[in-house]
This record gives sequence, structure tokens and C-alpha cells, in this order.
Amino acid sequence: MAAIGVHFGYTCACVAIFKDGRADVIANDAGDRVTPSVVAYRDTEQFVGIAAKQGRVRNATNTVVKVKQLLGRTAGDPETKAHIAESKCPVVCKGEKLYYDISAGEHNKLVTPDAVAKLVLEKMRETAQSALASDVTDAVITVPFEFTQAQKTALREAAEAAGFNVLRLIHEPSAALLAYNIGQEFPSGKSHVLVYKLGGTSLSVTALQVNGGMFRVLDTLTDHSVGGDSFTDALAQHLAAEFKRSYKQDVSCNTRAMMKLMNGADLAKHSLSSLNSANCFVDSLHDGIDFDCNISRARFEVLCSSLFNKSIQPIKALLETVGLSSGDINKVVLCGGSARIPRLQQLIREMFPDVEQLCSTPPDEVIALGAALQAGLLAGKEGPSPDDESVGVDACATDILVKELDESGAEVFNVLLPAGTPLPARRQHTLLGRGQLSSLCLELYQRVTQQPQKLARIVLRDLEPKEDNHDINTVLTMKRDGSLHVSCVDESSGRSEAITIAVAS
Amino acid sequence: MISLMRAAFQDVMLLEAQEEDETVVYNHVPGSVQIEVEPVGRWFEAFLEEHPLLRTLDPKDWKNQDHYAVLGLVNMRYKATQRQIKSAHKAMVLKHHPDKRKAAGEQIVEGDNDYFSCITKAIETLSDPVKRRSFDSIDPTFENAVPQKGEGVKNFFQAFAPVFERNARWSSRKHVPSLGTAEASFEDVDHFYSFWYNFDSWREFSYLDEEEKEKAECRDERRWIEKQNRGSRAQRKKEEMVRMRNLVDTAYSCDPRIKRFKEEERSRKESERKAKADAKKKEQEDKDRAKQAELDAVRLLKEKEDEEAKLAAQLAKKEKEVQKKAIKKERGKLRTSCKSWNYFSDNEADNVKMMQEVEKLCDRLELISLQTLNEFLSSSSQQEAKGAVEKQVEEVNAQLQREREAEVQAQQAVRGAEQASRGGGATAKGWNEDDLQLLIKAVNLFPAGTNARWEVIANYMNLHSTSGLKRTAKDVINKAKNFQRLDPLQKDEVNKKAFEKFRKDHTSVPDTVDNAAPSERFEGSGDAVAWTSEQQKLLEQALKTFPVSTAERWDKISAAVPGRTKKDCMKRYKELVEMVKAKKAAQDQLGTKTKK
Repeated sequence: MAAIGVHFGYTCACVAIFKDGRADVIANDAGDRVTPSVVAYRDTEQFVGIAAKQGRVRNATNTVVKVKQLLGRTAGDPETKAHIAESKCPVVCKGEKLYYDISAGEHNKLVTPDAVAKLVLEKMRETAQSALASDVTDAVITVPFEFTQAQKTALREAAEAAGFNVLRLIHEPSAALLAYNIGQEFPSGKSHVLVYKLGGTSLSVTALQVNGGMFRVLDTLTDHSVGGDSFTDALAQHLAAEFKRSYKQDVSCNTRAMMKLMNGADLAKHSLSSLNSANCFVDSLHDGIDFDCNISRARFEVLCSSLFNKSIQPIKALLETVGLSSGDINKVVLCGGSARIPRLQQLIREMFPDVEQLCSTPPDEVIALGAALQAGLLAGKEGPSPDDESVGVDACATDILVKELDESGAEVFNVLLPAGTPLPARRQHTLLGRGQLSSLCLELYQRVTQQPQKLARIVLRDLEPKEDNHDINTVLTMKRDGSLHVSCVDESSGRSEAITIAVAS
Repeated sequence: MISLMRAAFQDVMLLEAQEEDETVVYNHVPGSVQIEVEPVGRWFEAFLEEHPLLRTLDPKDWKNQDHYAVLGLVNMRYKATQRQIKSAHKAMVLKHHPDKRKAAGEQIVEGDNDYFSCITKAIETLSDPVKRRSFDSIDPTFENAVPQKGEGVKNFFQAFAPVFERNARWSSRKHVPSLGTAEASFEDVDHFYSFWYNFDSWREFSYLDEEEKEKAECRDERRWIEKQNRGSRAQRKKEEMVRMRNLVDTAYSCDPRIKRFKEEERSRKESERKAKADAKKKEQEDKDRAKQAELDAVRLLKEKEDEEAKLAAQLAKKEKEVQKKAIKKERGKLRTSCKSWNYFSDNEADNVKMMQEVEKLCDRLELISLQTLNEFLSSSSQQEAKGAVEKQVEEVNAQLQREREAEVQAQQAVRGAEQASRGGGATAKGWNEDDLQLLIKAVNLFPAGTNARWEVIANYMNLHSTSGLKRTAKDVINKAKNFQRLDPLQKDEVNKKAFEKFRKDHTSVPDTVDNAAPSERFEGSGDAVAWTSEQQKLLEQALKTFPVSTAERWDKISAAVPGRTKKDCMKRYKELVEMVKAKKAAQDQLGTKTKK
């Protein structure tokens, strides 16, 4: 069953398809796997993608960028004002609604953000369908975790207008986890994952708890002031300073020159992710003067040191809010194009020294891949699946622990059934007992806060002493209402014991 | 994470149990908590498909399980396609196959007691169309209830629409008409009810069979089971049909549209009848009027005719009167003129005679001749007048004479004609009573088919007749025909007369044999005691048995005929001989005649 996953970002959009059991990103007609979500209007035509982005230098007022920032927002929104202020394309408010004032063509026309988003999504659909049968329209689309209901609705409507059959909207961090197959194969464990996303215009950090294959967002932090563009901007400022130093010309007030410089800086920045130095060359930047400059990676890192600090800062804040230490995090997932920056990856690694850092998949594609995987899961099903944003799931309220002795003879508690496990749940553990003992005792505890509370004791007697350890096969089954059934079987003798712990009324 | 935990567990050991320790539960666990999560990833799928149901199922009681629920098709049920069932089963097998679970570390109950056999039974039932139909028929989630009448009357469409929709699934035919709305047309409603009254249901109840045919060990047992099952199925099917019928009946009786249609129909009929009656009335009136008009016309015509006739009659009367007057006047004139001439004679007697003659003239003459005569008389002299009058008188006399003669002649002609018409009469040819009797006798004697019958009869008549008249065959035929034409009354009369005559004859002359006997019956019966046909037969037989040569012949003959003396017999024999002789003579005569 083929399906489509779309990541519609502020700066770029990416589409992946799920086909024959695997997800792949599809390159667009220009051969790029990522399409800038830029729409340019001309006299007679409108176009999307890299052509629009490149033409923006000459046609800035009729080129819409970062449409996602205005999508689904109302004029009264305080965020809206900030976005309108920095938009090169004029935005007018009519009542509560927002319109881009497009002056291309004979008459000025007002275009809604929804219509712009629709054009981008249409482009994505065409790209996906170039690799699939054209009747495949089932799609999962990602949204930032902080998206409001109105924004989600607007995006969904735009996607449907673009010809998609929206199976579900999923959050970007969840999609990233899906792409790395976290918690999918063996869903019994419990772990914490940090998703770090540095996109073109924004930074978001999310902490998730993965339990029984279930993703639960603990908290998220978003910073719209930091993004890939900030780095490019910093580099462009530096280049402008270089230009001024070399040619005694100030280009900072020349909009088109700055745009050219930004494009050059962007390319240089991308090169610096893999190379130690990059060359920035801009033809006829100012007064017919060509600009040529070499930048080393070290120089770039120095230039952006404050930005790096700003990018890392939210992680600490987030961990503090959710009450986890850096040691509690089991995995870090990097996504967003700017997560490629080596310095950034290094900084994060320093923060989580023992933690696996997942960035094998190109970070700007990972979300689209996750969306495609989710689409593949949903498309295989008959009937429309519930498109609720969230579902209520019965979960285990407390950790179920067993008291054991470690080598030194100290008492330790081991978690048999973690809190937050979706119910009904069933966990199997093989507990060990010293071989020479003829009787063993399982003491079960629950931990509501820090101090474990005694729940029950299970005693196995008349075990045959032997050289090896006793293997006690323990199965914990918790029903939907929370009642717990524990059964223990000694593998060698077959002696068994079972108890049921009822729910407090 | 798992591996990490395992690693951690490697070097930790369970505690040793103390002597006094027992298995004990100290505390309760808090209930589950609801957490909101995003439905992303594979777990959710698994979570949705997790059937706590499956583990509660008893594989031995598979017959009572909901097969759709087992395969996770609760929402599809009877609408699920074979493909969906197949794929659902595949997914279930992948997840719940004992091998798979064993690999995941679960302990499996060996044999058929594992819940996996429920899944197998479910797919067995649902993949076979026949078995699936029988399971669908008793779908435990199907609401069999039918709305009551009270409910239906209050809120017909809300009460019945879902019920019909629900029951439509049993239809063997596709395109089941829906209940429709209150504004539905008559055709739609009619179609709806005719469909549901002729509802063709595929529902059957073999699933509820108490005995399993497959369990039978031999054919007889299988037959017995089949019979048992058939009975209960038929019973259930009947109940189902009653249920459906009840539903449709209730709906029909509650349907406000039906009520409306009936009312409309009634009012339509009413108006039709009224219109018909009006038309009839009008027609009748028209007819009456036409008839009246006709009658009037006829009456008018008649009146007119009457009027005309009256007028004509009046006119004729007037004319007649005028004529009468004129003739009276002319007569007066003639009389006066004759008188003035003193009747052309001085003789008293002549005068009187002349006066008579003149009166005669006056009576006989027409108006015109009178006028001419009068004119002539007035203009001419006495002699001439006398001559003219006399001439007239003569003419009149001659005319009178002629008339008288013609009258006489006519009378004679009438008389002659009467005579001619009575030409063939009995009196004309002298057929007296005796002859008639003789004729009857002869006719009877020689029945139809006799050679030259009528000649023989005529001869016989001539031989025996007392009148002495010679009669030909033609006469005889005519008379006989006349007789036949006579009505039975006349015949009776003739017979009566004949009988009276015969009595008179015989009382006066008792032993006349030769006389024309009135009938064979009384023939020869001298002593009032007639020969019965029985006696006659016996006599004839005796005559044959005792030939002439027999001694004491007549004594023997009379002994053979009871009730008859020797004398009687002899007499009878003589009569018979005579009769035969007469017959023969008549025939012989005819024979000689024809020979001649």
C-alpha cells in the first residue's frame, strides 16, 4: 500500500513515499530532495520551489516565503505582526483575515496564505506522484508540536485543496522518532528521547517519553528567533563587512545586494558543513564589482558562537522543566537542515556524552520519512482511522519494582513494569536466584514518588539446589483497570506461584 | 533499553525466603491513569487490535463466539468483503499464532485449548459463504425487535425507518426500497409495501442446530439428526416470517401516508359517484324532455289533423246539406210541375199511379237528372213533359227491374256456391251413419300397407253396404281423409252415435251378424260378454291343437278356453271364418278387377 508523507516546513518542504515496505524521499523535478517552500507570482504564472527562491532577488514583493507562519493565523495574533513586519511581500488585513498583496500582472490581487500553501503542497503531491501511481493521494502531513487547532485545520484544508487525502496530521518530533524506528520493534521498554530540530527559521526542542512504543511528549520549547537563516545572516553580515573592508562600499542598505550576499552565504554555509573552507563568489554585487571571499569553518564557528550558544540553551531549560537530567535521556534525534552543522552536533554530544546521537538520515528529510512511515501504517488499514489529535489511553500509574540484591549484597529495586505503560500490558522477565538456595522470595514494590511502597511478596519453596542460578520466569499482566497479576515459574522444577493485586477502591 | 535492563539483571539476585515468609499481598495498586498521547506509530495499531476478548474465549464454546469480533471486524460485520476477512485473518494469525507467541516468550497451552483455535473457527465460518450466511442470520448484534403500534402512530418515520433499514439486510433482492418520507408518492409507497409484503429473506437458522450432522457415526443417525434439525429450522423460519409480517402489518396500519391515500381514494370515489349520479339524472331529464317534446308534437299533429278532418266534415256536411236542399227543391219542383200538369192525366187512378211514379222518380233520380228533367218540364209543353216523365219513369223502372234481377242472380250464385262447397259432403254422396261405420271398420280391417288398400276397402264397402251405393276408391279416400281431419270431438261423437245405433240395432235385432259391425271389439259378442284377446288367443291355439278330425273337438276346445261354452266357441269360430271369408272375397274381387 503506497502512501505519501509530507513535511511542510517554514523554509522547505520535503516529500517521502512509503512503498513496498520502505520509505524514500522523492526528488522534485529540479532534482532536489528538498523543495524551498517559496511561491513566486509573475505576470502570467506562479511557480514554486528553487526557481521562485532564486527569482526572489528581482521579484521580492511578489514572492511569498515562510507562508506557514501566517497559515491559520488571524490578524489579531501578536506573532502575526512580527511575521508581517519581516515579510518582503506586503500583507494586508481584512477583518480577521490576512492576504498577500500580489502586484504582479495587470491588477493587484489578494492571495490568502491558504492558497499559497496549497500551491506548495500541490507541488509536493506532483513530486510524490511522479514516483507513484497518480491515484495515490493518501498522505500524512507533519505539523509543529505547538501548532494551534486553527493552524492545523488550515493546513489540512490546504492539503485537501491540493488533492491530498489527509490520513492524519502528526507532530514533527513523533515523525522523527518514527523515522529512526524508535520504540517500534520491541515496544516493551521505556526510554526518553530528545528531539532537536533546527530548521531554517526556528528552533524547537522536544522531550519525549517512549513507553510501550507510545510517544508521549513531555514538553517542548520553540524559539523562532534562531534558525538556519540566522547563521546565514551572520555570515552575510561578515561578508558585507569584508566587502566594505575591501572595496570601501557599504552594501547593507542595498536590498538586492544583501539578497545576493545571503544566497552566496547560504551556499558557503552548506559547504562548510562538509568542507573546512568554502568560497563565496557573488557576481556584480555592488556597482558592478564582483565579490569573492574564502571562509574557513573555524571562522564561521567563531562568527556564530553566540548563535550556537543560543541554540543549545533551550535544551537545558527543557530538561529542567521536565525534571530529567541529561543522563535520563536515552537518545537524541537531530533534525532540520541546520542540524548538519558539525559544531552544533559536537556541542550536543558534549551535553549528552553517553547518548546515541541519531543523525544518520539527512536531518532535513527525516521528518518527511517519518510521516511516510506513518502514512504507510495508516493506509494499510481499511476504513478511516480516527483522526483525533490525541487519544486517551489507560496507562499504568506507578512503576512496579522488584527488590533484589546486587553483588555487594545491597538491596536494589528493579523496574518490572514502568509507569506510563499502556494497558493492558504484559511483561515477562527472567529473574535469577542463587542456585544453592532452596527457597526464593519476590518482593514487589510500587513507586509513586521516590520511596517504594511494598505491594506483595511471592515465595517459591522447595527448589532443588543446583550449580547454576535459578531462572524464575515472571510474567506481569496488568489489565486495563490497573489490577495486576503476577505469576512466577521456576524453569527447572516447574514450581509456580501466582498472585493478583486488586485495584484500590 | 531491554538489553540494558537484562545486563543490569545479570548480577542481581532474588532474595532468599525466610522461614516465616509466605506469599502475601500487602497493598492495592492504584487504578490505571488516562494519559493523552498522539496516535503515532505501530503501537497504536497494536493497541487497537489488542483483543482482550480473545483471551477470554473458550475454544470449546466456539459456536457462541462472535466470529467478526474474533477477527476484529466488529464494525464491518456482514458488510465485510471476503478480501477483508482474509486479510484480517492473516493479520490475526501473524499476531496470535502459537509459534509466534512462543517466540515472544509466552506460554502456550498445547492442543485445541489455545484461543488460537477460535480464530481458526472464525475464519472457517466466515470464509465459507454458506456457513457465513448461517452465522449472519443469527447475528447476535441484530435487533429483532419490531416497534409497537403505539410507538408507530406517534412518530411513524422515526420509529420505522431504522427498523426497515435494519431488516433490509435479509433481502435476497438488491435495491430494497426505503420507507421514504411523508411526501412520498403513491407509487413509491405502494412499491414499498408490495416489496415488504413479498419480502424474500435469505435468513435461515441452521447455525442454531442443536445436533451436529458431522458428529453422526452412521447414515441413519445422520438422517435422524437432519430430520431433527429441519424441524427446528422450519419453526424458527416461521417465527421469523411472522416477525417480518408483523413489522410490515404494523407499519402499514400506522402509516399516515396510507391513511391519507385511503382518504383521498374515498373522496375521489365519492365525487365520482356523485358525478355519475348527476350525469344519470341529467340524462334522464333530457330523455324526459325529449319524450315530452315528441308527445307534444304528436298531439299537436293529431289535433291539427282532427281540426282538418272536422273542417272537412263540416264542409262535406254543408255541401251535402246544400245538395239535399237542392234535391229537395228539385223534387218539390218536379212534384209541383207534375202537379201543375195534374200528373198528365185526368184519370184518378192514373193520377195516383203517376203520383207513385213521380214519387219513385223523386226517390231514384239524381240531382242532375232531376234538374234536367225539371228544366225540361218547365220549358216544354205538357205532352212533351209527360213524354219525358214517362220516359224517365220507364228508365227508372227498367233500372229497378235490372237491379232486382241482379239480386236474384246473386242469390242464386250464392246458393249455387254453397251447394258446390258442400259437394263432397256425406249427404251429397249419401254417406249415412251405417256407411261411415262400415268405412271405419274397413279401414281398420285393411291396415296401411295392404296391397291396393283403398280399392280393397271400396270393394268391401260395396259388398257390405246397405245403402246400395257404389263407391270408388277415390270416394273412400276422400271420406277417410275428411274423417282424419275431423277433430277428436267429432270422432267421439261419431263413435258415440255409432254405439247408440249399434245398441238400437242389437236390442231390436240381437243376432244380426252380417250387419256392419261397429267395431271388432263388439263384433259377434251376442251375449254381451265380449271375447277378450286372451280368450281369442286361447281359442285360436285350441283350434290349431285340435284339428277337424279330432273326436269331440269342440268339447276339447271349449275346455281349453276357460269361461266359454262349447256353443260360444263354435259361434266365435263361425264368425271368424265368415270374417276371413269376407276378407278373402274382397281381396279376390280386387284381384280379378286388377286382372281385368
